[in-house]
Amino acid sequence: MGPEPLGPVRAVSARISRRLLLAALTLSALSPLVLLLLTSVGREWFFPALWPASITIESWRDAFGGGGRIAGALGTSLALAVATGLASAAVGWPIGRTMADLRGWPRHVGAAAAFLPVAAPPVALATGLHLSALTMGVAGTFGGVLLSHLVPAVGYAALYFLGVFTLFDRRIEDEARTLGARSRTVLWRVTVPMLRRQVGEAFLLGFLVSWAQVATTLVIGGGRVRTLPLEVFSYLQAGQDRYAATGALLLVIPALLMLGAVRFAVDRAEATPL
Amino acid sequence: MSSRPGSGRPSVVTSLTLAFGIALGACRPAERASAADLARLPWDSVVARARGTSVTWRMWRGDPSVNAYVDRWVAPRVKARYGIGLTAVEGRGPEIVNQLVVEHEAGARGSTDLVWINGETFGNLRREALLDGPWAGGLPNAQYVDSASPIVQRDFEQEPAGYESPWGRVQFALIYDSARTPEPPRTVAALGDWILAHPGRFTHDGQFTGVTFLEVLLYALGGGVQRYQGGFDSVRYAEGSAKVFQWLERHRPAFWRGGKTFPPGVAELHRLFANREVDFSMSYNQNEVVTKVRQGILPPTARPLLLRDGTLANSHFVGIPFNAPNAAGAMVVANFLLSPEAQLEKQKAEVWADGTVLAPDRLPVEWAERFARLARDPRALPPDSLAKYARPEVSPLYHERLAADWRRLVRQGAE
Amino acid sequence: MTRASRRGLLAALAVALPVLVGTGYSILASLGLTGPGSAGFGLARLGAVLRERVVWSGLAWSLWVAAASTTAATAGAVLVAALFRGSAKSDRTARLLAVLPLPIPHLAAAVAGLLLLGQSGLLARLLAALGVLSTPSQMPPLVYDRAGLGLILTLAWKEFSFLALVAFSVVATRGERLEEVARTLGAGSAAVFRRVTWPLLWRGLMPAVVAVFVFVASTYEATAVLAPSDPLALPLLTLERYTDADLGRRGDAFVLVLLGMAVSLIAVAAHEWARSRWDRFEP
Repeated sequence: MGPEPLGPVRAVSARISRRLLLAALTLSALSPLVLLLLTSVGREWFFPALWPASITIESWRDAFGGGGRIAGALGTSLALAVATGLASAAVGWPIGRTMADLRGWPRHVGAAAAFLPVAAPPVALATGLHLSALTMGVAGTFGGVLLSHLVPAVGYAALYFLGVFTLFDRRIEDEARTLGARSRTVLWRVTVPMLRRQVGEAFLLGFLVSWAQVATTLVIGGGRVRTLPLEVFSYLQAGQDRYAATGALLLVIPALLMLGAVRFAVDRAEATPL
Repeated sequence: MSSRPGSGRPSVVTSLTLAFGIALGACRPAERASAADLARLPWDSVVARARGTSVTWRMWRGDPSVNAYVDRWVAPRVKARYGIGLTAVEGRGPEIVNQLVVEHEAGARGSTDLVWINGETFGNLRREALLDGPWAGGLPNAQYVDSASPIVQRDFEQEPAGYESPWGRVQFALIYDSARTPEPPRTVAALGDWILAHPGRFTHDGQFTGVTFLEVLLYALGGGVQRYQGGFDSVRYAEGSAKVFQWLERHRPAFWRGGKTFPPGVAELHRLFANREVDFSMSYNQNEVVTKVRQGILPPTARPLLLRDGTLANSHFVGIPFNAPNAAGAMVVANFLLSPEAQLEKQKAEVWADGTVLAPDRLPVEWAERFARLARDPRALPPDSLAKYARPEVSPLYHERLAADWRRLVRQGAE
Repeated sequence: MTRASRRGLLAALAVALPVLVGTGYSILASLGLTGPGSAGFGLARLGAVLRERVVWSGLAWSLWVAAASTTAATAGAVLVAALFRGSAKSDRTARLLAVLPLPIPHLAAAVAGLLLLGQSGLLARLLAALGVLSTPSQMPPLVYDRAGLGLILTLAWKEFSFLALVAFSVVATRGERLEEVARTLGAGSAAVFRRVTWPLLWRGLMPAVVAVFVFVASTYEATAVLAPSDPLALPLLTLERYTDADLGRRGDAFVLVLLGMAVSLIAVAAHEWARSRWDRFEP
C-alpha cells in the first residue's frame, strides 16, 4: 500500500520533486563512475577541455599484463577480503550470539564493547596495533595485515549478529532439541540454513571492510603488502591519475560483483523450501 | 590449553614466533656471504655465484616509465646474460629503513637484496649499520663513474664509501608553460617580482619537492651553497632560514589561494599546473617534464627552468642491505645498472630521461659518442647549463629543519 | 553473574581486546613509558601536545566535517526513504540508485570528487563551457578549502547510500502498520510523518548515524585527497607525526590517537545512553 493521496497541488509538486530526485539520484550514482572511466583512458585532459585530447588503454593493458602492479595488488586484496569475510562471519556469529543473551547492564557493556572496533579510528587502531604486530613478528606480512583487517571486520560481524540474534526466535531450535537432535545438528541443519541470508551478508560485510582498508594495511604492512587501495593511493601521490583511476575502478567492480553474487546466492537459497 | 578468547594463547604464539625468528636469525650469518667479502673475490666468481639466483629489489615504483625500464629492459637482460631473476618491489626510503630496523632487531632473515636510496635514507641506514659494504668500488663498471663530480662523489654531503653504488643523477628545476609564460623569470629575485605581479598563480607543495624549493631559496638568499657546506651549523641555519621565511611572508599573500593552503604533494602541484590553476610547477628531476609530457600528464608546451642562482643536483644510488640473502646477485645487477649500455638506455628521453653518473671522458670512444649523439628532446636542458647551475646537496639536517620550521611557521601560521 | 552473562562479556572482550591493547599502548606511550622518543614517566609530552593550537583546530575541523556530512547524508536518506517507499518501478529504481554507491570504496569516491569538484575539475569545465566562468580561479574552491566542502559532499554522498539502505529496511519492516493505524485515527499526512514515520526512522537510523559520524571524523584516505593543509585534519596530523623523521615527534602521535579514540568513545557512549532511554518506551 502506497502513500496516502495528497491534495492536488501537493500531488503535482510531489510528482515533480520525485522526478527531479530520481534524475539527481541517477546522476549522482553514475557520474563518478563515468568520470573515473574517462580519467582511466584519457591523455592530456586539461582545463577547460570537457573530453580528453586522446585516448589510451595503456593503464588497463598494464593492469592485466604480466608483472602489473595493479594485477598483483588486486589478487592480494581479493585474497585478504575473502579470508576476512569468511573468518569474520565465522567468528562474529558465536560472539554476537553469546552477546545477545546478555541482559541488564552487561548488555550495555557488551554492546559498547562490540561497537569499539567499529568506532575506533583506523589510524588509531593501526598505530595501536603496530607494536603488537611487531612483537608477534607479523608486521609487514600478509598474515599480519589479515589480522589487522579482522579487528574491525569481526567487530562489524559481531554487531551484526548481535542484532540478528536479538530478533531471532529460538523456539525452532528448542523444538528441534526436544525432538532429540544434538546441538551441532541443530546448528548446521536448522539454524544456519534459516540464517543463510544473514551469513551471506556478514561475509559481504567482512569482505567490504577488508576491501577498503588503507590505514591498517599501510601501517601494519609497512608498505610491503600491496593491496589495491594502497596502489591507488601511491599512484595518486605520484601524479599518475590514469593508473589511479584504473585502480579505483578495479576497486569498485569486484565489490559490486560480490554484492550481486551474495544476493543472487541468497535469493536462490531462500527460494528453496525448507 | 583453554580455547576461550582472551586467555593465555596469544603469549604462547608470541614467544614461539619470536623464538623461531631468533633461531632462524642465528642460523643466518653462517650461510650468508656478505658483499664486503664478495668484493674481494675475482669478479668472475661473483658472477658464477649469482647465476641462477633471484634478486629482490625494493624501490619506488610510482613512475610507470621507471617501472617499464626496470621490468621490461633491465630484468630480461640480466636474466639472459647472468641468469638472474630480478623482481622489483615497491618501497620508499622511510619504509625501507623501518623494515631493515625491524629485521635487525628481530634477527629475522632478510628479504631484500637491493635497495634504491639516497640522502636521508642512506644516512639513516649507515648510522644504524644496516647496509652491507664496502663493495661498490670493486664493480668493474665503477671505473667509468664520474668520481670527479661532487654531485656523484657525495650523497647529501655524505661519503658513499663503497656502501652504495651510484645509479643516476637529477637536478631540481621549475616547470613552466612556454605557451602561457613565454618569458619566465630566471632568478629568485625575478621570480619574486613575477609572483607579486601575478597573484594566485604560484605555489609550492608541502612535501619533499616543496622543501627542496625552500633549500634553493636558502642558497640563493643566504649567500650561496658554500656557506652551508661542511655539516649542519645551527647559527648559519638560523640566519639563512630567517631570510627564507621573510621572503615567503612577503610573497605569500600573492601565492595560490592567498598562501593559506598548500597542495599536499608535488603530484597535486603538477595537476594544478597542467590545469591552469597555477603557472609553475617544480620537480626534483629536471627531465620529469619530458616523461610526463610523453605520458600526457603535463601539457606539450611545458618546459624545465633552471634558476641562475643555482639549483640542487644530486645522485641516487643502490645499496645492499646488511642481511641481503643474495648479495652476489645484487652486486651483479648493480654492476649492470652502471654499464654504459644501461646508462645510455636510461637517459633516453622516451625511456626515463635520468642523467648518467658516468664520465664521458672515461668511457670507450664509441660509447662517449653515443652519449653525445643521444637524440635530445627539445624539452630537455643542455648539459652545460645543468653543470653551470648545479649545486650539491648539503647535510640532510638542513632539509629536515626547513621542513619542520615551514610546517610550524608557514603552514600553520596562516593567521 | 549468570553463566550466560559471563560468556557474553568474555565474547565482548574478545572483540574489544585489540582496541583495548592499542589504547593501552597509546596511553603508556603518551605518558612517556614506552614507544619512540620515550624518556620515562612524565606528563610533559601530553601537556605539550594538548597545548598545540594545531591539534585543537584539527580536531574541530574533523568534527565539523563529520557533523556536516552526517547531517546531509541523513537528510538525504530520510527524504529518499520517505518519498520512494512503494513498490512502483520508479520507487524500486530510486532505491537501487541510492544504494549503488555502497560498494564504492571511499578512496575511489574521493578521487572522483577531486576530479569533479576541483577549481579546474569537470564541474568547473562545464560551467566554463556554459560561459559562466573562464578561469579556474573564478570557481569557488571546494577542494583543499578551509570549509572542507568538497570532502563533506563526497563523504555525504557515500554515507547517504549507507544510511539510505538502513532507512529502507526500517521503513519496510516497521513503518506501514503504524502509519495505517495513525491514518485510520484521522491524522493528516504531515502529522503522520512527524509523529510516526520520523521517530521510527530516527530510532532505526540512530546507530547507523552515530557510526557514520565517528567514521567520517576519523577517516584517513578521503581526507588525504581532499582536505586543506590548514587546519590539518586530525587523522592526517596523526599519521604525519607517526611517520615523522624526528623520532621525538613520533611519540606525539599516540596522544593524538587517544584524542581520536576519545571522540569515538564519547559518541558511542552518548548513543548507548540515548538508546537505553528510548528502550524504556519500546512497545
